[in-house]
Amino acid sequence: MKLVLLFLMSVWLFAVDATLHIEKDVEDRTHIAVVDASSVENEAILDIIMSDLKISGHFLLYPNVVKESFEGDISTPELRKQEYVLKYKYSEVGGAKLLIRVLKASNSKEVFKKRYDISSRAKAPFLIHKAIYDINGFLRYPDIGWINRYVIFSRYTTPRHSEIVVADYTFNYKKVIIRGGLNLFPKWADREQKSFYYTSFNGLYPTLYRLNLYTGAKAKIVSSEGMLVCSDVNFNSSKIIVTMASDGQPDIYELDTVTKEKRRVTKFNGIDVNGKYLDGGKSIVFVSNRLGYANLFKKSFTSSGVTQLVYHGKNNNSVDTYKDSIVYSSRESSNNFGKNRFNIYYMKSASSRARAITTTGTNQFPRFNSNGRVIEYIKYQNSKSYIGYSNIDTHQSMLFNLGIKKIQAIDW
Amino acid sequence: MNYIRSIYVGFCSFVFIGCSQVAPDVPYNGGSNVSDAPALSSQTVTIDENSIKSNSSGGSGLNSVNNPYNSSSDGFNSLYFDFGQYSIADNMESVLIHDVDVAKRSSGRIKIEGNCDEFGTDEYNYALGLKRAKVVKESLASQGVEYSRMVLISYGESSPVCTNMSDECYQRNRRVDLRLVR
Repeated sequence: MKLVLLFLMSVWLFAVDATLHIEKDVEDRTHIAVVDASSVENEAILDIIMSDLKISGHFLLYPNVVKESFEGDISTPELRKQEYVLKYKYSEVGGAKLLIRVLKASNSKEVFKKRYDISSRAKAPFLIHKAIYDINGFLRYPDIGWINRYVIFSRYTTPRHSEIVVADYTFNYKKVIIRGGLNLFPKWADREQKSFYYTSFNGLYPTLYRLNLYTGAKAKIVSSEGMLVCSDVNFNSSKIIVTMASDGQPDIYELDTVTKEKRRVTKFNGIDVNGKYLDGGKSIVFVSNRLGYANLFKKSFTSSGVTQLVYHGKNNNSVDTYKDSIVYSSRESSNNFGKNRFNIYYMKSASSRARAITTTGTNQFPRFNSNGRVIEYIKYQNSKSYIGYSNIDTHQSMLFNLGIKKIQAIDW
Repeated sequence: MNYIRSIYVGFCSFVFIGCSQVAPDVPYNGGSNVSDAPALSSQTVTIDENSIKSNSSGGSGLNSVNNPYNSSSDGFNSLYFDFGQYSIADNMESVLIHDVDVAKRSSGRIKIEGNCDEFGTDEYNYALGLKRAKVVKESLASQGVEYSRMVLISYGESSPVCTNMSDECYQRNRRVDLRLVR
């Protein structure tokens, strides 16, 4: 009887904890309404504003978008029940221009006003991200600078030809950086996103280059027979993890970007790929077929022991890390061909418990954002591809249509 | 009584208002400010590598006229693999013997290209293609082809010979192609 009582009390305690957690999340968010004061149609711009506010995890959006004049007080009575009203006016005269006002809903007092201009209309999505980033900062919420960052990805165009493209996180902005030839596996080389690594397959040996996004300066890093991929970059960009093939054997190495010295991290007769720094660079997570199928393992830089990390799924072959957090995709159906159910899971390195981030469709290429609180992934569903985002803290998710058949590799 | 009511009202205010997010008032801040957003303030480059000649890669071998099921060139035949596998199947032994013969009758370096179907992702597929190329290299070497003549490369899923959604098509993409380096 005592045991039963103890069990019931435990259940009650956990239930209370969960409830409090959810209430706290909602309480911390700001109720905000969006007012469109533009004189031009701007559905895509409005979608980006709403997406930015939502994915930040800091706002509870009023469901209807109201049309009002930009200047003056709030004229729609129902908006006064919100905490703030965001008025915006978008135009495309001489580029892209965005005017922003934030008013206290109760008394129409203007608390924030700013103008954003850029000559390139194509970059309007970044203009929106910057405005929402500023409003978020003004309200003293935790930083959401990641919405201003580029996503970089590679896609196939024809057999043995590809493009490397940068985009904003919603994929409304896209620009080809490298076209022609076979150039794959782009990976940001620094936190500032000034340069990126990529592998060129245009010569006899795959070659890793670093390209400056703004000057076009290109530096050869290393070549390797067979295959060569930059899988991760350490916190200060001084070292990278690469998969390369000594005598045709794909293993993981760490490469010093200054001295070019390399050290072998794994040595296995099968496949070891996709090494990612973990726990402050003391160890790595990587994908290996040591058990006969692709799965995740962990290894310290200072010891030879290898630990299996995941105990479910039939094929766990895509992984990313942030500090001690791990996100990976797991195949949960057994079709050799065609549709398979892949889901994204999140876990801590010290725990074997994993939390499902997605539950439907084929979800792959999970990547952490720059502060580790949002997970990006590619979803294939009903013959369409999407880029998905899931906020770990608020459990909010959103999808954007990719308009691209298949992504080869992606970094954020 | 009023004193007690004041305490009660104050307590309720603390409970219901005190914990919510309070935005600071800031003075008007007009003017454009995008200088701290690199994506907005700087122009990015575009590199066109269409003009770069692929060096020493050999012919692509795709769409072979004589045999649509062979994407190798220079007399070599392609070897095919089972899903997710990188061991040479029994029915590929005769192809291997043929390729050994072609290799011994030719001179110069031989490029061995590993390929995969579209069902892998990311790095793993390239490693799988490489393991397929490596096992062919080892087999050729075991039958007398010099190691130093053979060069490996994996093209992962980037070099399909067909794109139909059929088992036959997927099978044709899980292959190793051989050709001479030019």
